[in-house]
Amino acid sequence: MDRTGLLLNYAAALAIILVLNFAIPRLMPGDPLQAIYGDEAMIAMTPEMKEDIIRRFSLDMPPDRQFRAYIASLLRGDLGHSYYFNAPVAEVITGRLPWTALLAGLALVLSMAAGAFLGIESGYRRGRPADGVLLAGMMSLSGLPDFFAGILLLILFGVGLGLVPLAGAVTPYSGLGGMALFLDILHHLALPLASLVIVRISAVYLLTRNTMVLTMGAAFIRTARAKGCPEAAVRYRHAGRSSLLPVVTAAGLQLPHLITGTLFVEIVFSYPGIGTLLYNALLTRDYPLMQGVLLLVTVVVLGVNLMVDLLYRKIDPRVTHAY
Amino acid sequence: MHIDYWREVKKSGPGRAGLAAITAVAALAVLAPLFTGHQPGEYTGAIFHPPSREYWLGTNDVGQDIWTHLLYGARTSLAVGCGAAALSAIVSALVGGLAALSGGITDRVLMRLTDSLLVVPPIMVAILAAAYFRPGAALLVFLLAAVMWPGGARLVRSQALAAKERAHVAAARTFGAGRLYLLTRHIMPEIGPVIIAVLVMDARRAVFMEAGLSFLGVADPAVVSWGKMMQQALRFSYLDVWKWWLLPAGAALSLTVAGLAFTGFALETVLNPRLKERDR
Repeated sequence: MDRTGLLLNYAAALAIILVLNFAIPRLMPGDPLQAIYGDEAMIAMTPEMKEDIIRRFSLDMPPDRQFRAYIASLLRGDLGHSYYFNAPVAEVITGRLPWTALLAGLALVLSMAAGAFLGIESGYRRGRPADGVLLAGMMSLSGLPDFFAGILLLILFGVGLGLVPLAGAVTPYSGLGGMALFLDILHHLALPLASLVIVRISAVYLLTRNTMVLTMGAAFIRTARAKGCPEAAVRYRHAGRSSLLPVVTAAGLQLPHLITGTLFVEIVFSYPGIGTLLYNALLTRDYPLMQGVLLLVTVVVLGVNLMVDLLYRKIDPRVTHAY
Repeated sequence: MHIDYWREVKKSGPGRAGLAAITAVAALAVLAPLFTGHQPGEYTGAIFHPPSREYWLGTNDVGQDIWTHLLYGARTSLAVGCGAAALSAIVSALVGGLAALSGGITDRVLMRLTDSLLVVPPIMVAILAAAYFRPGAALLVFLLAAVMWPGGARLVRSQALAAKERAHVAAARTFGAGRLYLLTRHIMPEIGPVIIAVLVMDARRAVFMEAGLSFLGVADPAVVSWGKMMQQALRFSYLDVWKWWLLPAGAALSLTVAGLAFTGFALETVLNPRLKERDR
């Protein structure tokens, strides 16, 4: 597939998402304002606010005008008004975003690095006891839902042993600064991060191991051995390096799972990121906030997937000519 | 490919473990009324009753028997999982098969659509739709199938393209076989195992997503579900009830998902013999 085709796919995906975001609320019974904002918000809003929203999103116009107004407002960065926080949705989300980015980013890096390392070691030792134990363990982990892994860790280390705080990202009103603040953040981050890494590591591991097993049977490995390469060099410089290629793709394929996993894990630990925000929005039926979070997450996933696709082409030129 | 897939899966360790887990969960789900004397919605008169002979896993915050919820939750999980997987696999097979056999503009249009949908994170769309529609089991099946089919369609298309070029298909064509005959008698048997692998993997994703959606509280609150049990139990994690409320629900969900995943891995190994442990 050429680059134009790729970009076209992503453009089409974005269009589908925008249309869904626009259409689904409007499929609900009732007038658009009520359908989009929900009954609870209708009670909370003053008539002036209703007027303002109807004007901003052209809700008294035919659907095509509404769609144009919707796209125009998105381009302005206007995601609507959160009635629960009584603030613009975009503002509420930006305030929470750093925590989610911190959690998801660290989890991605750690699970990729550890998964690739274990995958290479395990694939190299295929059929030996260490490989068997690792493989069985990882396969069992792959069945664990993110939020259940989080719940197990929370109960074990938080409720049972009392080692880590049960909720939040920093100790409230502690007035910590510098190193103490850094440690406090790490202390709160440890469990959510651990649950994400534990669940996410298995996919990278299994993929790396599979490629490693296939690579170890390739002719160039025999050549490397025949010319007298030390085993460590065969493992990492030859087999490991060419097994890392799929790991890049895995990063892209994993990302949607990682991000949705982060949302769920945040909910378990009441971590103040956008996952908890989404959960509260769902509980309080704050529909504009919910839509804003979902739209943002989806667009981020699309963006990163596109980057991975483009990067993959750079690393492995064969992909471009594969079709 | 003349391999007895069923026997191959049963021969591999993970495959056997997976099949056993699924069979056990399915048996409990189907025979649920035999294993419990209560109904999921029934008020037993005791709130937060610890496990006893009468209430095997105790009772929850509104005095309902938790063991009964666990059994009926298995029904929801498996019904939604299998239903969504079956529907999604049918759509995958139709879209993928049609694209491969037709070629040309049909192929291009269908695959463009598939590739675009493939990069959309399914759970996000599912949450969005579920938040508004609050789906019961039947609607959930349609919703999950609607977001799951693209992956399978790509796989079916590539396999069908390969199968189309096989000698026996070409031979049948020279004898004047029609397109429908080719599809049902030659291509479908060839790619049947792939479709079964797609089916198992889709079932795993569907069970997972159903639990996730009900954990978020966006599924129909009247449906008994493991995800919903965990959502409710998590609010009482400061009491002892998590031991017989939260853990069993999570364990049952993990067991089901792992069972399907193991079966899927085993199938994948059979389909891709290079991964087989030949020099053990």
